[in-house]
Amino acid sequence: MTEQSDEGLTIREVRLGATREEGGTREVSYVIGGERDLPFSGDGAGRPLVALEICDDPRFWPPVVRDYVGDLANDTAEWARAAERTYGADLVRLNFTSTKQRGFDAFDAIAATTEEVLAATARPLIVEGSNEPELDSEVFRRCGEAGEGERLLLGTAEADRYRSVAAAALAYGHAVIAQSPIDVNLAKQLNILLRETGVPQDRIVIDPYAGALGYGFEYSYSVMERIRLAALSGDADLAMPMICAPTDTLSVREVREAAPADQEAMAVAWEFYTAYAAIVAGASIVCVRHPLTVERLKAALEG
Amino acid sequence: MAMKALDIYKHLPKTNCKKCGYPTCLAFAMKLAVGKAEVEACPDLDPDTKSLLGGVTRPPVRLVTIGAGERSIAVGEEFVLFRHEKTFYHPPGIMVQVSDTWPEDEVRSVVETVKETVVQRVGQDLVVNGVAVKYESNRPERFAATVALAGGGSTLPLVLIASDPAAFEAGLAVAGHYRPLVHAATEENWEGLAALTKRYGCPLAVRAAGPAELASLAGKCAEAGTPDLVLDPAPSSLAGFIATATEIRRSAIGRTEPALGYPLYLDAGAFGKTDAALAAGILKYAGIIVTPPLASASREAALTLRQNIYTDPQKPIQVTPGIYPINEPGPDAPILLTVNFSLTYFTLLGYLEASRIPCYLFIADTEGLSVLTAVAGGKLTETLVADSLKKFGVADLVDHRLLVIPGYAAPLSGKIEDATGWKVLVGPRDAADLPGYLEKEWKA
Ligand code: B12
Ligand code: SF4
Repeated sequence: MTEQSDEGLTIREVRLGATREEGGTREVSYVIGGERDLPFSGDGAGRPLVALEICDDPRFWPPVVRDYVGDLANDTAEWARAAERTYGADLVRLNFTSTKQRGFDAFDAIAATTEEVLAATARPLIVEGSNEPELDSEVFRRCGEAGEGERLLLGTAEADRYRSVAAAALAYGHAVIAQSPIDVNLAKQLNILLRETGVPQDRIVIDPYAGALGYGFEYSYSVMERIRLAALSGDADLAMPMICAPTDTLSVREVREAAPADQEAMAVAWEFYTAYAAIVAGASIVCVRHPLTVERLKAALEG
Repeated sequence: MAMKALDIYKHLPKTNCKKCGYPTCLAFAMKLAVGKAEVEACPDLDPDTKSLLGGVTRPPVRLVTIGAGERSIAVGEEFVLFRHEKTFYHPPGIMVQVSDTWPEDEVRSVVETVKETVVQRVGQDLVVNGVAVKYESNRPERFAATVALAGGGSTLPLVLIASDPAAFEAGLAVAGHYRPLVHAATEENWEGLAALTKRYGCPLAVRAAGPAELASLAGKCAEAGTPDLVLDPAPSSLAGFIATATEIRRSAIGRTEPALGYPLYLDAGAFGKTDAALAAGILKYAGIIVTPPLASASREAALTLRQNIYTDPQKPIQVTPGIYPINEPGPDAPILLTVNFSLTYFTLLGYLEASRIPCYLFIADTEGLSVLTAVAGGKLTETLVADSLKKFGVADLVDHRLLVIPGYAAPLSGKIEDATGWKVLVGPRDAADLPGYLEKEWKA
């Protein structure tokens, strides 16, 4: 929906997830976007969504989260279920970290895990597919197919790596995360590339790339503000909702080297300040990894 | 709106008499245009011109100083709504609130923590700035005693929060000479408070719900002789604060309402979500943030966010390129190539100093870009490395020709060897692994 108003543009609405009526199996679907103003200024949008990230191979996951979730880390579907039911996440972001290992070829597992996680969850799902360019086409095809009809949010498309994600999104009806390195023009170019590939504008979510707090976040914050201002003043190629996923947050020195007794508090504080600031800059979805951050963010966004 | 230098110049006497301290009227006009000079400096302006130019050239948000001495803070004097438009200049003061009903020990411990805790990041010392004393005892002498316990303003800047004039009298008798911020003048009590703060020359916070009400109240207090004001929009929710603060800052920057051209005040404890409020205040225009005592994790994250938001977006924090000896290196010590981004330098320095391994950090001028960013952006090149080796006389310091480069610069290793004639060793990507790597691999 691209409603043109006098003052400028409305951010496009993007639907995530599909209920039975919409051809999927989710209990709810979400519509993000729709803003007509800056965040918290009566902008017309709903509450931002808080996603809890999980992964299929915990060897590549921050120790401070593994310690907290314990055995759940070894059962992706149960972890996903807990993310929604126990930890209160609005949605889950499933990372296929298994594709980081050398010589990965367990493509069947990608499809199976996607199906299991979908069965274990009731809300829309974000899937972060391949970590390795050579694996892209097969990984995205498998998870895309397994989630057919569910309107997944599939990631991640980059300027030199977008064809496989785009193809899977088009073939199986998903939305796409479009990531560019902290630059308004690069974000715009990638959206144009995706459009030319045939991805509808209302199925793109911009990821302007988030550096961790204290490690580049200031650039990410400002680029998000700039993208949003450009969109509101009429640039249709930037008028998409934004997602913020500062993947390095839990491996910064402050968290890694905190005294054992402080580590959890530090992890949560670091994620919280980053995610909340991203929301103030205009993010519709923030992704975090520590379950306790979810709770804090949701409390902060209430009222 | 702000006036351009040439437009200002048209109103000046054009005699170039230099009495303002600038060589020409035009030079003075250029300083005025960027808010870096005061109209008063030119003695030859008639009052009308003075007030015309004063209105358009003073910083859109007034600079207000709170406290005295080393730890005093100056807030306000901002020029833009978004940091990417230029930069933000004056980070908000974070003031930890204590109550005069608390036991002495508790107050003392909070005050000590504020005084002593320093978070060091990228070469800067980050601190929580001061203490806010809240009057809840209903006993003015008790308030005064707590203000004294908080240092009376002589060490840390203070905020005095009360509603009873007697409490302010008592508090200011202790701290009045150290410019505490008095909170708050309202529609009901402003006359008394404005007179009191005028007597002591203290900054005054005015509190009213909504920009129009604030402007009217601020106007009256300024008129009454208290020029240093801070605005508390009395938000009923955090979202409300962000919206109102944005509106106020926009009017101030656009100079549509001069009476809103003051720093803003936020009580971060008011909504039961202190971390969110601290973040919101830092991001959206607060000049003074009062907070309940903070756990160390919250403090460190908040101070880091404030540092991030208040760095110049056009200019990363940098160190001077050159060769830096660490742990007293000799002629067989390794040479470690890196970039002049402060964050990179201080990260490496931390690990290297802790390891006690003698070495030289060889810092090339990548204009403040990190390793990966400099490689991706073509700022770290073999030519730069070769030129810098010569420029810093690196060859004279050691008797080997081995250069350790960052793991992320691996794609350049062959080119660097060709351009410098030095043998290149590709180090690890993560600085945390560097000491281990040197212990295992390094022999000159
Ligand atoms: C902030 C940031 C920016 C900022 C710049 C900030 C700055 N001052 O450098 C801005 C927004 C300007 C920027 C721009 C670009 N960026 Co950038 N940026 C980042 C970000 C988020 C953080 C960088 C950072 O601060 N790192 C922290 C510092 C401390 O790291 P470091 O210097 O590398 O040091 C570490 C190691 O290298 C090691 N180390 C350092 N020295 C030494 C020495 C030795 C001997 C050893 C052994 C180790 C070692 O220790 C340190 C700690 O572990 C990264 C993502 C990331 N997480 O790295 C992307 C990233 C580096 N950027 C990227 C890109 C592509 C760009 C651009 C080219 C995009 C564009 N707009 O065209 C430009 C290039 C700049 C230009 N135009 O010249 C990509 C690089 C992709 C790649 N793999 O090559 C990244 C990885 C993001 C991404 N995934 O897409 N960027
Ligand atoms: S004092 Fe006034 S008249 Fe003299 S040079 Fe300065 S601006 Fe011009």
